[in-house]
Amino acid sequence: MTKIFLLLNQDESENTLKPILEKNSFETMCSVDEIDDILVQIHNFMPDIILIDNDFNNCEYVIRQIKSNTKNQNIQFILLLNNDKKTGFMNLVDGLIVKPISEDILISTLNSHLKIKKSLDRLYENNKELSRSLYQLNVLYNTSSQFAGTLNTSKLYDIMIEAMEKTLSFDISSVLVYTSSKNAIFKLNTIHTPAQNLIDALKIRSILNYKNVIENSSIQIGEFSDIEVIQKVKQARSNKIYGIESINFDSLFAPIKVGEDFFGVVELFRSTPFCSEDVTCFQAITHQVALPLRSAKLYEEISITNKKLEKLEKLKSEFVSIVSHELRTPLTPINNSLEIVLSGQAGVISKDAQNFILMAKRNIQRLSGIIEDLLDLSRIQAGKLDFKYKIVDIAPSVELLQKTFLQVASEKNIKINLDIEEKLPEIYADTRRIEQILTNLVSNSIKFTPQDGTIKVSAHTVDADEINFSDLIMPYIKPNGKYIKITVEDTGIGIKKEDIPKIFDKFSQIESSLNRNACGVGLGLTITKQLVDSHLGAIWVESEEAQGSKFNVILPLVDKIKMFEMDLSRILINNEDTGIIRLEANKDLNLINSLKENKLLNLSRLSKEIEIEEDGKIIYYTFIPKITSSSFEALISTIKEYCSKIKKNEYDIILSKAHSKNDGVDACDIIKILNISKENI
Amino acid sequence: MKKILIVDDEKDIVETLSFMLKAKGFDCICAYDGESGLNLAKSSNPDLVILDVMMPKINGYKICRLLKFDNKYKNIPIIMITARSQDEDKIIGEETGADEYITKPFEFSDVLEKIQKYLG
Repeated sequence: MTKIFLLLNQDESENTLKPILEKNSFETMCSVDEIDDILVQIHNFMPDIILIDNDFNNCEYVIRQIKSNTKNQNIQFILLLNNDKKTGFMNLVDGLIVKPISEDILISTLNSHLKIKKSLDRLYENNKELSRSLYQLNVLYNTSSQFAGTLNTSKLYDIMIEAMEKTLSFDISSVLVYTSSKNAIFKLNTIHTPAQNLIDALKIRSILNYKNVIENSSIQIGEFSDIEVIQKVKQARSNKIYGIESINFDSLFAPIKVGEDFFGVVELFRSTPFCSEDVTCFQAITHQVALPLRSAKLYEEISITNKKLEKLEKLKSEFVSIVSHELRTPLTPINNSLEIVLSGQAGVISKDAQNFILMAKRNIQRLSGIIEDLLDLSRIQAGKLDFKYKIVDIAPSVELLQKTFLQVASEKNIKINLDIEEKLPEIYADTRRIEQILTNLVSNSIKFTPQDGTIKVSAHTVDADEINFSDLIMPYIKPNGKYIKITVEDTGIGIKKEDIPKIFDKFSQIESSLNRNACGVGLGLTITKQLVDSHLGAIWVESEEAQGSKFNVILPLVDKIKMFEMDLSRILINNEDTGIIRLEANKDLNLINSLKENKLLNLSRLSKEIEIEEDGKIIYYTFIPKITSSSFEALISTIKEYCSKIKKNEYDIILSKAHSKNDGVDACDIIKILNISKENI
Repeated sequence: MKKILIVDDEKDIVETLSFMLKAKGFDCICAYDGESGLNLAKSSNPDLVILDVMMPKINGYKICRLLKFDNKYKNIPIIMITARSQDEDKIIGEETGADEYITKPFEFSDVLEKIQKYLG
């Protein structure tokens, strides 16, 4: 029924208007009270239309007061005005009826304003729903980007609950998720403190829901033996407590799952009823969280598999190493026995017997060579190969090749020509490893070069710009600066184009169908590449089938900084867990200085903290997230905080300057911290 | 006649090596584990010791250290036999104090060359 609130003079309302209105089945209410009372009455009565007489006490003020409440914004105001009067607030009211009142005009005016009121109400409701949906959409949108940003399961649930809190303003949320087949976590988020019996009831309810869902699907899950309860109360200080009866609040329930992957159940309770939009929003959030949960689960599985693989890889290396050691021992008496027989000390042997024993001895040598290669490879892969780096001249190593291969090469009448630059500059290298690289390449060339061929070995200085890197397979570093380039060029069978990319792969031996008159396990080139990589060099091959091959190796000229970084990265590989690099390079001040100037940023990629000892002072360089505040005090406190993390030492003081560069470590400031012992001050 | 002590738990290696050394005119005494090897080194007064690294009871490194840090025996040259070519530093360096090392499988000519360096 339409409600009309009358603000008229006593007699007028009681005697004339009220009967007319009631006759036309309007519900009415009259008031002549003070404004405060009127507001209360309107609040309770909730009228559609207010009829107010121009002569009503403080008429304009009363209208303004009523309108100031936004809840009343749709109420239609109709002013009753005497024929001979004028009013100054026509803009405040929606309609006007001139006295004396005609019943027809009154009723038709009321009816048309009623239509306006109803339309406004509908509009208002729609608008409210729209803005609510818009808000929910906004939250959903933000939530989905938050979901996408993490693979941490527990964080994902927190984001989910937060999103539900924002969009659905629940009183209580209960989430039950399983962590492993036997354990589960029960998360309870409430506005006010819940009573213990409510907690227990909700827990049992969640478990029942959980089992229900599982029974309805094909998923098998073990019984929960242990449920951890995590409870969060938003307004813990308020006196209000949710009793057991809160379980009768309106509730929303959903399983958290995607496809066959089931993660848990979530239920919300709210003292006010949920509407259909709330249900949609709730479902959207539970769907949204399930996908990243699955990713997180997969990620976890991959991490575990990865760890297993790493362990396996390590085991494999150890296995190879042990087996190789074991193989060498029996080879020794075999070799000795053959040698005894060959020497004639155990009796005279025929010429043929001698040849066969020599053949056996050659193959023992080959076998031990293969074992050596296997060992090297397993050591390289385990990061256990020791390098004894020195500044060396490698020219003698290249020259040595002619002597080493003299006999083998002459058997096939292969010439080995050397072309070494005079006064070849020094490099920072392990001579024995360089010799291994050269020997591997040359013996490989001899293996694949037919009778009467030629092998040319050359060593020259080159600039990185002169090198055509399109030939370079998987460059270890982007070369720059000066290098020694060693090439081993043969007139052998060459390599097919499609085989070139895999030539440095483990165990790959290029099949050369008819011309295959050489054999080997093909570990040599793999080891060679690893050794070259360890020297911060690069290796690549140029070849054409039947035209011969040209292997190129470049090794960087002595660059202490580079070498130092190389040492450093090796240290870090061996001490993965320590975040601090300690440099005891106090003997070489130039090195430290150039490090400070140029290389700190690069080092910071390797470690968060660097410690350099210099003149008895320890200087820490620490890389901390960008300090946004510009105040000096803030800077100091941030530094102190980081210092306490580095070491518990007191820092006597601190800092040269904070600077940052856009060099891959952006969002980092570098802080230099001096730790000066007290005696030195 | 120069006396060489060979200590290795691999009997075949000891047998072939001593055969070859005897043929070259050396007197050979043999031990097949670390403990008896150490005792023989102390009691039989050898001119040179050939020592395996991996052995039961006392390993070769330890025997080498015990002999090299004892003034009575420190002048006896020691050649170590190893299956690991990487351990050069450990063997030759300060840790054990051995004079030479050879890697399995070895050529007799190499062993002989090294022996002659000390007993030549």
